[in-house]
Amino acid sequence: MDALRYVFKRILLMIPILIGISILTFFISNTIPGDPARLILGPKATPDGIEELREEMGLNDPLYVQYGRYVNGIFHGDLGESTYSQQPVIDDLERYFPATLELTLFAMLITVLIGIPFGVISASKKDKLPDQFTRVFALLGVAMPAFWLGLLFLLLFYLKLGILPGSGRLDNGVSPPDMITGMYTVDALLTGNMVAFKSALIHLILPGITQAAVTIGMITRMTRSSMLEVLQSDYIRTAQAKGGSENRVLYGHALRNGIMPVITLLGMTFGHALGGSVLVESVFSWPGLGKYAVNAITYLDFPAVMGVTLLIALLFITVNLIIDTMYHLIDPRLKYN
Amino acid sequence: MLLDVKDVSLSLKREGKYSKILDQVSFHVNNGETVGIVGESGCGKSMTALSLMRLLPDKAKLDGEIRLEDELISSYSNRKMQKIRGNQASMIFQDPLTSLNPLHTVGKQIEESLLLHTSLSKQERRKRVIKLLNDVGLPRADELIDEYPHQLSGGMRQRIMIAMAMACEPKLLICDEPTTALDVTVQAQILELMNELKERTRMGIIMITHDLGVVAEVCDRVIVMYAGKVVETAPVEELFENPKHPYTKGLMQSIPKLGIRKQMLGSIAGTVPSPENMPAGCRFADRCSQAMDVCKTNVPQMTQVKKNHKTACWLYENKGVKKDAAAGSEQPKTAFYL
Ligand SMILES: Nc1ncnc2c1ncn2[C@@H]1O[C@H](COP(=O)(O)OP(=O)(O)OP(=O)(O)O)[C@@H](O)[C@H]1O
Ligand SMILES: [Mg+2]
Repeated sequence: MDALRYVFKRILLMIPILIGISILTFFISNTIPGDPARLILGPKATPDGIEELREEMGLNDPLYVQYGRYVNGIFHGDLGESTYSQQPVIDDLERYFPATLELTLFAMLITVLIGIPFGVISASKKDKLPDQFTRVFALLGVAMPAFWLGLLFLLLFYLKLGILPGSGRLDNGVSPPDMITGMYTVDALLTGNMVAFKSALIHLILPGITQAAVTIGMITRMTRSSMLEVLQSDYIRTAQAKGGSENRVLYGHALRNGIMPVITLLGMTFGHALGGSVLVESVFSWPGLGKYAVNAITYLDFPAVMGVTLLIALLFITVNLIIDTMYHLIDPRLKYN
Repeated sequence: MLLDVKDVSLSLKREGKYSKILDQVSFHVNNGETVGIVGESGCGKSMTALSLMRLLPDKAKLDGEIRLEDELISSYSNRKMQKIRGNQASMIFQDPLTSLNPLHTVGKQIEESLLLHTSLSKQERRKRVIKLLNDVGLPRADELIDEYPHQLSGGMRQRIMIAMAMACEPKLLICDEPTTALDVTVQAQILELMNELKERTRMGIIMITHDLGVVAEVCDRVIVMYAGKVVETAPVEELFENPKHPYTKGLMQSIPKLGIRKQMLGSIAGTVPSPENMPAGCRFADRCSQAMDVCKTNVPQMTQVKKNHKTACWLYENKGVKKDAAAGSEQPKTAFYL
C-alpha cells in the first residue's frame, strides 16, 4: 500500500518536470537561428512565399501562443507535423521508437545476463584467472568504438560467414507481424507468427551485441567492485558460518546487497540507449529513433525535435521512477516518503 | 573430548609475504564446558576460531590437527566442512548489526540453517524458528519472524544471532566477543542466556574475549594467548588466583578493582611483536621484567605447574613450580603502568 502511494506521488511529480522540459525545449528550438519555412520551400523560395507559409504555420504568432497551441495539441495526441517527413510526428515516433526500444531491451537483456554473472565471478575469484579474463573482456568492450565493433561483426558474420543478417529488422519477403507493441519479436510471439519471430530475432543479434558490448564492460566492472565491498561484510561471514555453499552465499546474500549501484548504472544506460544509438542504427540500417532524431536536428525539423525530446524526457523520468521503486523493494531500510 | 586442537599453525599472506599468525596452538574443549580464549588485540583469537570453522582469508596455510567428536575435520574438504558449519559447530560474531544480512527478515536468516542442514518441511521450520526465538528470550516471536534486523535493538540482534547459531543444536558454539558491542546490562543478560543454553544442551562453548569480567562470568577454563601462541591454560578460579605466566599476571593487574581508589586500568608496557619479526625465544621476553638470558634465545614449552594448569615460561620449565615464584600472591615484577 505504501509502495502504491509512493509510485502515485512520484507520477504526479513527473507532471511539473515534463512541463518544464517542454517549455525549455520549445523556447530553445524556436529561438535558434534558422527558418523552417525557408527550409521547407528550398533555395528557390520567394520572400512572399516564405512569409505566407510562416503565417500559415503560425510562426508569426508570439511564442507563448505557439507554445499554448503545442501543449493543447499534445493533449489531443497531436505533436505537430514533421517538416521533413511530412508526417504527423506522433506517427513517426510510433514507427521508429518501438524499433529502438526492442533493440535496447535486447541489448540490456544480454548485458544483464552476461555482465552481472561476470562481475560476480570476477569478484569471487579476485585476481585469479577468471577475474583476469573478465577484466580483459570488459576492457575490450568499453574500449572498442561501437561502430568499429559493428563493422567488424558485419564483416565476419554477414559478409564472410554469411550466418547472420546485417541490416534491417526482418528478412526480405517476411512481412511484419500485426502491430501491437511495434516490437516485432514481441508482436510475433503474441500473434503466434513464428516465421516473423525467427526472422526478427536473428536480425537483433548483431546490433544487439554491438550495443551491449560497451554496457557489458561497465556493468561487469561495477558489479565486481560493488560485490568486492559486500563480500567483506560481516554478514557474508555469518552466511558462510551457517554452512551455505559458495554460490548460495554469493547469489543469495551478497548479490542482493551489491546490486543497487548496478541497477542505477543499468537504468542510466538504458535511458541513454532509448534515445537511440545513431552509430549502431547506422551500421545496421536499423530504423530507430536515433537516426530520426539526427535527421530532425539536421533539417531544423522543430516539431520532430520537440517530439523526440519530450519522449526521451518522459522515458528518463519513468526509468528513474522504476529504479527508485526497485531500491525500495530491495532494501527494507528505506522508507517510502 | 568434544574438540581437540593439536599443534595448529596458520600462515596468512599479506602484501605478497606469508607470515605466521598462529604457532602450534593446542587446546581442547569438553562437552558442557565453556573455554575462554583471552589475550591482547591481534594475538590471534579470532584467527583461531576461524581456523576451527575453516573460514579463513584467501591463501591461508593451515597446519595441525583439529578433531571434532573424534572426526579429523582439519582433513575435510571445503564441501564437507559446509556440512559441519552451522550444524555441529556454529559461530557468533562480535557486532550483531553488521553480522546480520540487512535485506533478509530475521525469520529467513534463522531458517536458513534449518534449510541447509535438516529436512524439515516449511511449516516445521517456521515452528522451530519460533521456538528458537522463544528459547533465546525474545517475546512476540511470531511477529519478530517477519521483521528486519534494523528494526531491532543491539541486544535483540545478538539474541537473533544466538538463535541462528543454535538452530541445528550444535555440539560446539564458538563466540567471538559476543558482548563487546553491547552495553553492560544487555551484556549480562546475553551471558546469562549463554550459561542457560549450555546447561540445557551440554554443548561446548569457546568464548573469545578480552574482557576478564566475561571470563569470570561464564568460563570453566581459560586459554591465554600471546602473539599467536598459547602461553597459559588453567581452570578459571585457578587462573585468577594463581596466574603463573608474567603475561597473565599482567592481564590480571589490568582488571580494575572495586573499592580501591586511584587505581587506574593497568596495561603492559611495550608492544606485541609483529608476525613478521617474531623473537627467536619467548615472544613475551621483551616486555617481561623477569626475563632471563634463556628467554631471549629459546622457546619455552608448555609445562605442567599444577593439575590442569600449564604454562609456557622458562620460570617454570622443567622445575615444576619455581622457587621464587611459588608464592602466587607475590607481586610480579613486570613493568606495568599503574
Ligand atoms: N586477512 C588477513 N590477512 C593477513 N593477516 C591478518 C588478516 N586478518 C588478521 N590478520 C592478522 O592476524 C593476527 C591475528 O588477528 P586476530 O583477528 O585473530 O586477532 P584477535 O586476537 O582476534 O584480535 P582482536 O581482539 O582485535 O579481535 C593479527 O596480527 C592480524 O594483523
Ligand atoms: Mg578478534
